[in-house]
Amino acid sequence: MEALFFNVNTGFLEGIVRGYKAGLLTQNQYNNLTQCESIEDLRTQLSATDYGNFLANEPLPISTSTIAEKATQLLVDQFNYLRSNAVEPLSKFFDYITYAYMIDNVILLITGTLHERNTQELLERCHPLGVFETLPALCVATNVEELYRTALIETPLAPYFRDCLSASDLDDLNIEIIRNTLYKAYLEDFYAFCSSLGGPTADVMTRLLAFEADRRSINIAINSFGTELSKERRAKLFPTIGRLFPAGNNALARADDIEQVRQACDGVAEYRAFFDSGSGPGGARGQNGGASESTAHLLGDLDTGGAAELEDRFFAYEVHLNKLAFLQQFQYGVFYAYMKLKEQEIRSMTWIAECIAQDARDRIQDYIPTF
Amino acid sequence: MAWLGFSECGLARAVAQAIGDEDTVTGLLLAGIGHVSQNQKRNFLVVDSKTPIPHIEGAFEEFTERKDIAILLINQHIAEKIRPTVDKYEQAFPALLEIPSKDHPYDPAKDSVLKRVQKLFGE
Amino acid sequence: MSGTGPRENIFPTRMALTNTKLRLKGAQTGHSLLAKKRDALTTRFRAILRRVDEAKRKMGRVMQLASFSLAEVTYATGDISYLVQEQAKSATFRVKAKQENVSGVVLPAFEVDRVPGSDFNLTGLGRGGQQVLKAKEVYAKAVETLVELASLQTAFMILDEVIRATNRRVNAIEHVVIPRLDNTIKYIISELDEMDREEFFRLKKVQGKKKRDAEASEAQRRLLEESEAPEDYQPELGGGGGDLLSSKDEDVIF
Repeated sequence: MEALFFNVNTGFLEGIVRGYKAGLLTQNQYNNLTQCESIEDLRTQLSATDYGNFLANEPLPISTSTIAEKATQLLVDQFNYLRSNAVEPLSKFFDYITYAYMIDNVILLITGTLHERNTQELLERCHPLGVFETLPALCVATNVEELYRTALIETPLAPYFRDCLSASDLDDLNIEIIRNTLYKAYLEDFYAFCSSLGGPTADVMTRLLAFEADRRSINIAINSFGTELSKERRAKLFPTIGRLFPAGNNALARADDIEQVRQACDGVAEYRAFFDSGSGPGGARGQNGGASESTAHLLGDLDTGGAAELEDRFFAYEVHLNKLAFLQQFQYGVFYAYMKLKEQEIRSMTWIAECIAQDARDRIQDYIPTF
Repeated sequence: MAWLGFSECGLARAVAQAIGDEDTVTGLLLAGIGHVSQNQKRNFLVVDSKTPIPHIEGAFEEFTERKDIAILLINQHIAEKIRPTVDKYEQAFPALLEIPSKDHPYDPAKDSVLKRVQKLFGE
Repeated sequence: MSGTGPRENIFPTRMALTNTKLRLKGAQTGHSLLAKKRDALTTRFRAILRRVDEAKRKMGRVMQLASFSLAEVTYATGDISYLVQEQAKSATFRVKAKQENVSGVVLPAFEVDRVPGSDFNLTGLGRGGQQVLKAKEVYAKAVETLVELASLQTAFMILDEVIRATNRRVNAIEHVVIPRLDNTIKYIISELDEMDREEFFRLKKVQGKKKRDAEASEAQRRLLEESEAPEDYQPELGGGGGDLLSSKDEDVIF
């Protein structure tokens, strides 16, 4: 049934987004980019792709952050175009996508406010997708409750803040906890929303969001080793969705080292592969063993192994899942997947630019190709 | 002589300082050199293309005059902007170090200390 | 020459000569000691120079690696620079200065003093925390290299200063103090010689005068004798020119 009426409202936008997707950099283009000698070369190469002349007006020493910024701007423009043409419930779906950026912006502003920084400067640093009207008003708040009552109650983020109102004062530890609590609530809400849409959208999106939730859980568990974050509080930050929920989450909450995290993930075949050293989706990592060894040699022995690669495998798997989302028609997952793929592409591009700028050619292959 | 004064202030715990672009300062802060005193004074300065040169000079003078500072780190391309001030600085304490930044690889020819080294070698 | 160079303004006596000679001796010993110190410092200085040079170059590489690890963080987490700047509270990475003695010169040496702190522990909690951790370590190592370099550089500056001072002193002793003492000694000696010669001449003069006086008195005595004798002994000296040997002719020397 949904296929019958889908195109009435969303067919145009789906066509657009699939067109955008066709503009993503291909493996061939990535290869060309990695061959570049300088950032100027990179710019020339990029002008032959969908990016066009987006760097044409930049003064010549182009920094990598400029590239990332400009590319993000392109993405934002595309997103805004899609969003302005969307109708319910797709527009609601787009709103949900922006909430993640809003959370980041709110956190950024709170941090800045805590240290009495210039509001204007802070606003410039906010992600353009996450800007909302009452954002500047956040600067007046000094504690979470005030923040909630003065500024956030008007925003869609308000329900998410319910959970962290107990954190009475804003210090740096709390801010990071607030961020993750918000994100957890957001993921759960988004998940519920997607499920309510039903049909293929629910299928695709729940899969993507479940992975996102699991990735966060695993990361939080690993990153909280050796910090003052207690296990009870850690457990509260895990989203209550995903394939690890509930048994895996419980195990993660109790984990003390990476080995226990691995055991917690054993129940899910895909995740188990992340922890197998050497193989797995991030196989390209194997070849830079020499590079990290020389790094380690120069800097004394550092623990460069394990966990950092995990992140890369997560990225690779995320790309994989997002690509799968394009295989199904008549669903909203493509929009979300496109956003994520494009972000990954910007990251990869920035990475390549960074490698070129810093002359670290042995690591240039470590980007995650999208298509 | 300048170095005689050292024994009094040298034993006090000293902190390193940084003037640099955003990435460099971020990295150094990650290493843990960041210090914000009671009156919200920071021991680092982020310089971007918009930062006026007198401001950098002011920070440089202020940092070099403080007694609790052992090392002053400054990005080479920023030192380049205030080169006359940097070259004039000859005290041993705090030690002035010119460090490379991400976008500006290290150029030994510009370093005020290395220049002296080279002069002494090539005499 | 004694009169030309600068000399000390003292009275030329033998006592002063002895003193000045002692001082010259002291200056020479001091000179050789200072020269030795200078040589020792210079050796050290050269070694440090080389290490400074090396360390500076190493720093270039280390910083590159470090900024690369930051690029990894940016890749995984996005831009965290602002959060990091805002969250900086108190330094966990401090520098302690200790002192080292090199041939009488106090050189400061910086030592890394890391206080375990919890800054940024939760940065990137949901994502990229491992990269942040790694970047922290890499940067900490890089800063350690910087600290090492800083102490080398400080040693370099101080040694430079000290060597200059020592050089100044050595040169001052060599070119000012010693020549002056030399001149003083020469002056005293020449002055004393002069006095000797004067004394000798004076003695001579006195002797000559004494002689002349003695002769004058002798002649007078003889004259007196001669004038008295004819009255007493006239018959004895009747004819003839008298005794040639007993009297001296004024014009005949021998």
